[in-house]
Amino acid sequence: MLEVQDVVTAYGKIEALKGVTLRVGEGQITCLLGPNGAGKTTLMLTITGILKPRRGSVRFHDKDITGQAPGGIVRAGIALVPENRLVFPEMTVAENLRAGAYSRTGSAASEIANDMEAMYNRFPRLRERSTQMAGTLSGGEQQMLSVARALMARPKLLLMDEPSLGLAPMIVEEIFQIVRDLHKDGTSIFLVEQNAHMALQVAHHFYLLEQGRVTFDGTPGEMAEDEVIQRAYLGTRQTA
Amino acid sequence: MVDFIQNCLDGVMVGSSYALLAIGFTLIFGVMRRLNLSYGPSIMLGAFVGTLVYLEFQMGGFAVAVATVIGAVLAGIYVERLCFWAIRQGAAVASMVSSFAIWMQLEEIVTVFFPERTYPFPPLADRTAIEIGPFFLKLENLIMFACAAGLTVLLQVLLYRTRFGLALRAVSENPRAARFMGINIGRVTFWAFALASALGGVAAYLIIGTDAQITPLFGLWATFKGLIAMMLGGMGSIPGAILGGLLLGVVEAQSTWYLGTEYRDLAAYALLFLFLVFRPGGLMGQVAAERERAALRRV
Repeated sequence: MLEVQDVVTAYGKIEALKGVTLRVGEGQITCLLGPNGAGKTTLMLTITGILKPRRGSVRFHDKDITGQAPGGIVRAGIALVPENRLVFPEMTVAENLRAGAYSRTGSAASEIANDMEAMYNRFPRLRERSTQMAGTLSGGEQQMLSVARALMARPKLLLMDEPSLGLAPMIVEEIFQIVRDLHKDGTSIFLVEQNAHMALQVAHHFYLLEQGRVTFDGTPGEMAEDEVIQRAYLGTRQTA
Repeated sequence: MVDFIQNCLDGVMVGSSYALLAIGFTLIFGVMRRLNLSYGPSIMLGAFVGTLVYLEFQMGGFAVAVATVIGAVLAGIYVERLCFWAIRQGAAVASMVSSFAIWMQLEEIVTVFFPERTYPFPPLADRTAIEIGPFFLKLENLIMFACAAGLTVLLQVLLYRTRFGLALRAVSENPRAARFMGINIGRVTFWAFALASALGGVAAYLIIGTDAQITPLFGLWATFKGLIAMMLGGMGSIPGAILGGLLLGVVEAQSTWYLGTEYRDLAAYALLFLFLVFRPGGLMGQVAAERERAALRRV
């Protein structure tokens, strides 16, 4: 459903993405692995229209969305759960959710209220804290809020930029359970992760991004067998 | 004691107009994290448009207020396009310096069209006072306070009950996250400028109306008062701007009464100095900044 074709994105003279090609299948969880500074977040920012690629194209549902304004891309059906959660700390949980629905100009207020209700059902802890400032939530709760906020845009494709970053292992389990649930409910997910072990349990397809280039493209089975990935990301001991 | 309370009353009422100026400053600073030094001069230009309507068409009161607000909004938008939108990729200090340049330009424009130093402005009310027990309340001050309080309530409704308000707060809290929601930052900034300028226009009408005269120096005066009040309250905080404005008004009134008019501005600067040394984030700013940091650290 999402096709990234030979994308080059640069900050001034430095090319952070040097011709990235990948695709995200409908109804799948696709995972992008890679070390810090590989360009993972840059790719997310390029897909969401925050950064304009110097070359290449981004197609969504066979429509060219390269260089569209961020608002248009959200309306087209792509929402991002940003790295570090980035909730609005001085706004209540409910207001954060409403901000997530900002681009839905066509939806009636009652429809948005229904969706908020659905989020509270999915994340009961957010209901308990709906009138609290988002900044007072724990890290895990903020991550849930960040996911719920993105879902308020009713995306067909959800981008998640390192949702497990900085969270306790138990909370990470919880976040990955959410990823599974969302997938089961029909949302396609493009997941950026450093936690390869967790990603291996949920993803259908893997890409490895290194220094702005895709260096691996394959299924979880192929990934688990790839020696380089094993050493670098799964930490399994090499025999012989 | 009676004097002290009387000064507090006067200070709060005059301070309410400072609060409006500070809110204008803080709205702009909040969405852009950039300082607009030209805020005072652009509403001064608006007030001269009001004067023009007053002198040329002999219209009073309401028409002058409307002309002032329209003039201030147009001048504000001019500043926004030139000093902020056009160099939005550049350094924050570039915007500040160019807003200073535009300040000079606006003052020059006004002096070309209004070569005499002072011009009359329709008075806000006749000089009557209402007596409550041992206290006197000037009618013009009461009008000023009522308008400022009413506008603050309206602004609160706009910020907390509308889609635009939600977008504006989202941009002030985290512009990056706001963009991910599909909020157009340029558009929000533009309207925040227009809103701040409109508030400034009303403040200018109220303040100049109590003096019944206007000079081009009002721009400098308004930038100083608004800037000091905003910094006392904490940059980017609206409750802070209100508190800062009222505090500045009360301190000025007290020092005028006990020390004399010549000490009024000195007292204001001394207060600002004390805040910068002991509480640089202002009354409310520090709290917000700390909470923001704590939120990011949380696991």
